[in-house]
Amino acid sequence: MMSARLLRHETILAVLTVIALFVLAMLSDKFFTGENLLNQGRLMSEVGLVALAMTFVIVTGGIDLSVGSILGLTAILLGVFWKYLGLPLPAAIVLAMACGTFAGWVNGWIITRFNVPPLIATLATLALYRGLAEGISEARSVRGYPEWFFFFGQGEVLGVPFQLWILGIATVIAAVILGLTPFGRATYAIGANEVAARFSGIRVNATKLWIYSAAGFLSALAAVIFVSRVTTTRSDMGTGLELDVITGVVLGGTSIFGGRGTIIGTVLGLILIQALKNGLALSGVKGDGTIVVIGLVLIGAILVGALFDRNRGG
Amino acid sequence: MGTAKQTGPSSGGRDRPDATASALPVELRSVSKSFAGIKVVSNVSFDIRPGEVHALMGENGAGKSTLIKIMAGLHQADEGEILVNGKAVKFASPKDAHAAGIATVHQELLLFPELTVAENIFLGQTPKTGAGLIDWATMRRKARDLLNSLDSHDLDIDQKVASLSVGNRQRIEIARALAQDARVLIMDEPTAALAEADVQRLMAIVRNLCARGVAIIYVSHRMPEIFALANRVTVLRDGQHVGTRPVTEVDEAKLVSMMVGRSIDRLYPAKQGTDGDVILELKDVSHNRVVRNVSLALRRGEILGLAGLVGSGRTETALTIFGITPATSGEILIDGKVTPIASPEAARDLGIAYVPEDRGQQGLIKAQTIEENIALANLKRLMRGFFVDARRVTDEAAKAIARFGIRARGPKQVVRQLSGGNQQKVVLGKWLATNPRILIMDEPTRGIDVGAKAEIHLLMRKLAGEGMAILMISSELPEVLGMSDRVLVMSGGTVTAEFTKAEATAEAVGAEMTRTRTPEIAA
Amino acid sequence: MSASASIAPPGRSAFQRFLSGYGQEIVVFLSIIFLFVVVGAINPRFLSDTNINSIFAGNAYIAVAAIGMSMIIMAGHIDVSVGALIGVIATIAGTLAVNGYPVWIAWLVPIIFSMAVNAGVGALVAYTRIPSIVVTLGMLSILKGGLISATAGAWITNMPAEFMIAQMRPFGIPSAVYFMVALTILASFFIKYTDFGRSIYAVGGNMEAARAAGINPERVVVGVFALHGFFAGVAGILFATQLQVIQSTVPPNLELTVITASVIGGVSILGGTGTVIGSTLAAILFACIGSALIFLNVSAYWLRAVLGLMILATVLADMARRRRAK
Repeated sequence: MMSARLLRHETILAVLTVIALFVLAMLSDKFFTGENLLNQGRLMSEVGLVALAMTFVIVTGGIDLSVGSILGLTAILLGVFWKYLGLPLPAAIVLAMACGTFAGWVNGWIITRFNVPPLIATLATLALYRGLAEGISEARSVRGYPEWFFFFGQGEVLGVPFQLWILGIATVIAAVILGLTPFGRATYAIGANEVAARFSGIRVNATKLWIYSAAGFLSALAAVIFVSRVTTTRSDMGTGLELDVITGVVLGGTSIFGGRGTIIGTVLGLILIQALKNGLALSGVKGDGTIVVIGLVLIGAILVGALFDRNRGG
Repeated sequence: MGTAKQTGPSSGGRDRPDATASALPVELRSVSKSFAGIKVVSNVSFDIRPGEVHALMGENGAGKSTLIKIMAGLHQADEGEILVNGKAVKFASPKDAHAAGIATVHQELLLFPELTVAENIFLGQTPKTGAGLIDWATMRRKARDLLNSLDSHDLDIDQKVASLSVGNRQRIEIARALAQDARVLIMDEPTAALAEADVQRLMAIVRNLCARGVAIIYVSHRMPEIFALANRVTVLRDGQHVGTRPVTEVDEAKLVSMMVGRSIDRLYPAKQGTDGDVILELKDVSHNRVVRNVSLALRRGEILGLAGLVGSGRTETALTIFGITPATSGEILIDGKVTPIASPEAARDLGIAYVPEDRGQQGLIKAQTIEENIALANLKRLMRGFFVDARRVTDEAAKAIARFGIRARGPKQVVRQLSGGNQQKVVLGKWLATNPRILIMDEPTRGIDVGAKAEIHLLMRKLAGEGMAILMISSELPEVLGMSDRVLVMSGGTVTAEFTKAEATAEAVGAEMTRTRTPEIAA
Repeated sequence: MSASASIAPPGRSAFQRFLSGYGQEIVVFLSIIFLFVVVGAINPRFLSDTNINSIFAGNAYIAVAAIGMSMIIMAGHIDVSVGALIGVIATIAGTLAVNGYPVWIAWLVPIIFSMAVNAGVGALVAYTRIPSIVVTLGMLSILKGGLISATAGAWITNMPAEFMIAQMRPFGIPSAVYFMVALTILASFFIKYTDFGRSIYAVGGNMEAARAAGINPERVVVGVFALHGFFAGVAGILFATQLQVIQSTVPPNLELTVITASVIGGVSILGGTGTVIGSTLAAILFACIGSALIFLNVSAYWLRAVLGLMILATVLADMARRRRAK
């Protein structure tokens, strides 16, 4: 029953995506080329990685507004550890990612330990983590990374961008966890009725801590890829990332109230957004006009979904 | 509840002269209502006289709630008419009903936690100054007067409602109805969540209102209250009007047979088998200040009844045993071994199951399917490798549906769509699938109709007969007395008395429940 | 709270009611005083006219926007697009002014536009039941993208002097401060003394109960969003006229600052509670902290980290207070 409804949303979305791809291919002959598509995949990876974790977060009925700031903080720490503390780059990467994961864990800890609504808790840490990034970096950017480091953001394996492999693997893992394991069942149960989940012996707080930590980890991973792709570190990296990510997840059919959503939906939502951005740019719409379209698509998709639900008498 | 039971028809407001027909505050004529093609209320006619308490009874799903909502203006009747003071009226919204003098005290109290008592009473019709602004001074004064007239001098009109008890909130709702000059007050299960002292106070208020000529439509499952308060009773069954009788012409058995359409001769099944060893023992267990030095022993094959008023520590004790609020001192022994229980997960793995009192919030995920709900407490067992085995999840649910006679389309039906009794069976199915040895049932038949109630009682007996140790918490004294092999009474967070089956009479247990031992708790 | 509750008097004195009703506001107010005293003692230049002027006048638009945001959150909703809206309003106003329209048109048209847009958002939220965070997230994209693509990031300069309302100084005080104070008082009064004002709390606290009490919750939500549009509109005009240029971009993080001011001022994110006086005080407090850091020679780079810590501390204190109340 529930899965039937979810599939319905994903079917709509898939059809919508196909139509969008088709129309965009008609509008510009540059759109449907292998090179362009792979490049778009490269650009999508950072948002995509974070969106996987965000799907879990939103399915539990929570939200994480601080992911963009965690990305920025991790990027800054990576640069600082390497350049100013003189750590070897691999160690700097691992340490910075550990810090990013810890930042995510702190979110979860505040939310579970003190019962702070996630919207508020992560609003606070959004400012805090970004503030730390600004304070630590003092607006200095870090450049001059060694050549091998750029492989993460610019390299290819078998003709496919490296980060697209990472995104693909992460997607499969996330989909399997959410769809097939007890952890996934617990995630849905918490979002649908947290009290009943606890009364059924589900470890609610532990589950949430894992999920928010994973959001931190994937934001940190996205940070490493981001820095490698643009070859520099700045404290404003990832600003506004949370909005792109949430838009993708919600467009993918995950209920902002929790309890419903799938990884497949999120991936479709991301693809649709990226295709629109790119296709419209190629067909001559000025860069920021595409943002308008994304806003319209977001509201439109939810509106259609809401009307569908109502007609079904749900 | 225990003491109220025996008061009988001596109460005031009973022998009121019949009013003339034209002055009937409310009359329903052949009212019908359908939802999605299903007739929920069918051709119901009855009238309400000024100053009477008119009880409205029926099993869950009999159409009481819909009928109330029609009178309150929340639903509109498809057919038939409502007359107020002899004139036909149409209520398009609750506002129209209020204007006609009909107010409702809802089951889930509809108050605004962050507004003050005075504002809650007057919301929607606040006194205004000449400039059209809210006149706070007048509003506070009027609120004070209204509460005083309800003998609620102790309520602070400037307090936010968020911090008030259920009983106090209910008084505010009644005051709100009076502020609307209500001539008819609909009370939907007003005592369902009240402690005994509040029940007594409510009954006094109801009599006070009747004396002022306010008519009360009183919806309740609780027979003692009906017989203590009501002048007439109207019974609904399957949306049909079965009859309206003066309360002096019916008795409990008669009302039950009117409600279920057959007479139930044996409400409680007899004990099967004998008691075994002690499986669960509590020694001086405390949790903060709500559970205080509770000691008890539960044997295999017995049903141990835990009686007490709301807030006496019954549910709190259950939550401590189940690891939701772990014990802060004392020892819990299972099979004679000291076993700390730190979480519901740990309790479940020890073979403890808890069927909670609030089915919708704690027991079930209503938006999910039967099989998802049943699997939730059994995920570890239903795995293959790292994954949840979808087929075994469905099989497990199908088994439960067959075993407990859950009336559903199948394992994939969403729980929200089931009736209260069937929802309760899903909760039971979920927990019995964990193969527990100790089953705690908190208000096992609350809000369940008479038929399903008997089925659940039978099932509990059968489980006990098979060696299950059952700890039953109930606010319904007849259920406690009828089902328990032994009765413990709790008060002020601790066990104050124990009765064997033979000793446990309504008088003895009821008296023990209402004796306040630790007055400092109330502060 | 604890003392007055345990005695449970039938009606409290006006002073007691004031204390229990404005707890959070008093804390914020005392923090501002504390900051002025301590920082002023360390560095007297903090108390100079110029600095106090820049604290109050320079941040008045945030306080004004926070009034509307507080109402939105009280009603149980949220608006993450307010920063973008303010940017759009500023640009519309500036464009009208530069192109020779009368100043009152340049002031009024954007405000009306803002109210209309938000009434539309409110209608979507109220009647389709799409959560406000989703709708306003979409609006954020639309407004932001629309603004940048329409202006291509061009700056607006050479606005007529009579248009610059925020820079006028009747009786030597910047007019932005008058707006902040007047609108705060007006809004408080409105919320306290009108049925619509009270119904905001009612709808935010318990929507179905509000319906049963004869309130039309949908209409209240649309009304609250329109009102919020009005305050955002005024904020946009103040923002447009406080400097000699309008950058025609979305002011970064403005929505977060506004939401934070509301929350710190005592508006619970769970809806149904809070006052607008608190949000205005909180907006001032923020400005003070920012300025204080500079005068204490703390690097401005750490400002945001301090703000973040503050929000966190406030929220944790609030949760602890709620827990104790239960």
